[in-house]
Amino acid sequence: MSIQVNHLNKHFQVHVRQAGWADAVRSLFKREYKVVEAVKDVSFSIQPGEIVGFLGPNGAGKTTTMKMLAGLLHPTSGEIKVGGYVPFEQKADFKKMMSLVMGQKSQLIWDIPPMETFLVNKAIYEIDDSVFRHTLDELTELLELEPLLTRPTRNLSLGQRMKCELAAALLHRPKVLFLDEPTIGLDVHTQEKVRQFIAKYNREHKTTILLTSHYMGDVAALCDRVIIINHGKLLYDGGLQVLAEKLTPYKLLEVRIPTVPQMSWDEYGEVVEIDEGKIILRVQRDRIPEVSAKFLQNFEVHDLNIQDPPMEEVITLAFQEESHVS
Amino acid sequence: MFRKYMVLLRMKYVEMFAYQLATIVWVVGAMIQPLITMIVWMNIYPQESDSFVLYFTLLILVERMTSAWDVWELDREIREGTFSYHIVRPMHPIHWAIAENIIYKGLFLAVLLPIWIIVAFFVPALQPHMDWAQWGMFVVAILLGAAIRFLFSYTCGLLGFWVTKVSAIYGVFEAVSLFFSGRIAPLSLLPPVMQEISLYLPFRYMIGFPVEIATGAVTGEAVGFGFLGSAVWVSLLLMVLGLLWRAGLKKNQAVGG
Repeated sequence: MSIQVNHLNKHFQVHVRQAGWADAVRSLFKREYKVVEAVKDVSFSIQPGEIVGFLGPNGAGKTTTMKMLAGLLHPTSGEIKVGGYVPFEQKADFKKMMSLVMGQKSQLIWDIPPMETFLVNKAIYEIDDSVFRHTLDELTELLELEPLLTRPTRNLSLGQRMKCELAAALLHRPKVLFLDEPTIGLDVHTQEKVRQFIAKYNREHKTTILLTSHYMGDVAALCDRVIIINHGKLLYDGGLQVLAEKLTPYKLLEVRIPTVPQMSWDEYGEVVEIDEGKIILRVQRDRIPEVSAKFLQNFEVHDLNIQDPPMEEVITLAFQEESHVS
Repeated sequence: MFRKYMVLLRMKYVEMFAYQLATIVWVVGAMIQPLITMIVWMNIYPQESDSFVLYFTLLILVERMTSAWDVWELDREIREGTFSYHIVRPMHPIHWAIAENIIYKGLFLAVLLPIWIIVAFFVPALQPHMDWAQWGMFVVAILLGAAIRFLFSYTCGLLGFWVTKVSAIYGVFEAVSLFFSGRIAPLSLLPPVMQEISLYLPFRYMIGFPVEIATGAVTGEAVGFGFLGSAVWVSLLLMVLGLLWRAGLKKNQAVGG
């Protein structure tokens, strides 16, 4: 199922008022507003089966965009088509073919075991008995849910709960999956598990996935393509690798030599780190072969390693240098 | 739809038992205010004690059967953003609320009715004198009252799309309804002007009207007008709820996340 977004805008009227009982009543009669432009003229399209990472700092407008795609928010202007449906029309058929997971919010019923939510979803999404059993078995195995299904949701750890959230969201086999910060707050090991699951699920079911995350690891591991948004505007839409090359026209060269001489390294590159027997330099991408050769010629090199700069750095640069990206 | 309801009812049943203590408080706590009010009135008019006993026991039953708490739930869910999961599911969230109402009220009936029947053997004042037609009208009036109170509460809850802390406003209505619904005193004890006003407000049809049918305080033509009033309020609230729902979704900010 494909996603089409054309000239999407969302303005919020934010209600300005003090907290309190009296003000709640008073605000019925008199209100003050401030208009916030959360999304400004955003356009993109996503092909069926693609996983796309949606990046931006807090408050950039990525979650707002995702909520419009899921039909939760009414766009101020612009056009959205998800699998041929206009999300805000709230058609039952649309809702049955998509799913939304919000890392910060739970759809599981808090005080009873996850299995109860699964059964409710089975009824609401009108899932056949056999399909339900088959899907649940598959998800139980992939996510190792077995011991979790019968424990009250509130007693699950964050990681366990997130696995159950994913299962609850996938029981009706959605064609489009919106994941908003699915790994937030999880430990590294669980993050990795969730990532592997999402990648595998996408491969096997060809589900179209749009993912927002703060963790570059998620995006780097899952998405070939990223859409970067900041201050409500689309800054970049394309390959992650291309972005890295564009924004960070250098690589990191790590060389191990027995002793690092005290000398000027200017003709090699910019020093990032010097340690005993090790030096890391920042070198222009097109100079990498030349500088490597020079090392091999002049030093007794034990090891030579060429690395891309860390993705965090790329993204930080992308947010800072808006003009460079677009 | 029937199968969906069976599943929702089962889930709400399981959930209710997760809140054991709160459920017991819900059942028992409801009796405190009417009982205190009853004692006050029995003290003022000792010669009419029996009719007060019957009135306030019926009131406890009707009040619980029509009770509505949806505004608090909606207020919280909209404010905290968990309501989003109701919106993305292919079923109107009102059905969750209806299922919850059925389960809690069913439990209350299951607890209260046997106790009433047993106690009524020993306390004649508790025996209502109703013919079959009255029983039928009593049940229908309770169902309409439950519908009005539920729709009123749910409609107020939907205001949460516009106003945070909407339950504060609902609190004001609750206070007004204490008088006009007959919870503080039978409506016949209110000043004539207030009795007249009560006919046009929804509150009498929530609680007072069914109780009056059972005690025989309302008869003949007045019963017909009472049902007309109930029906008008149900239709009106249904309309407002539909409008607010559509407008609210547009206004929704799907906060959090």
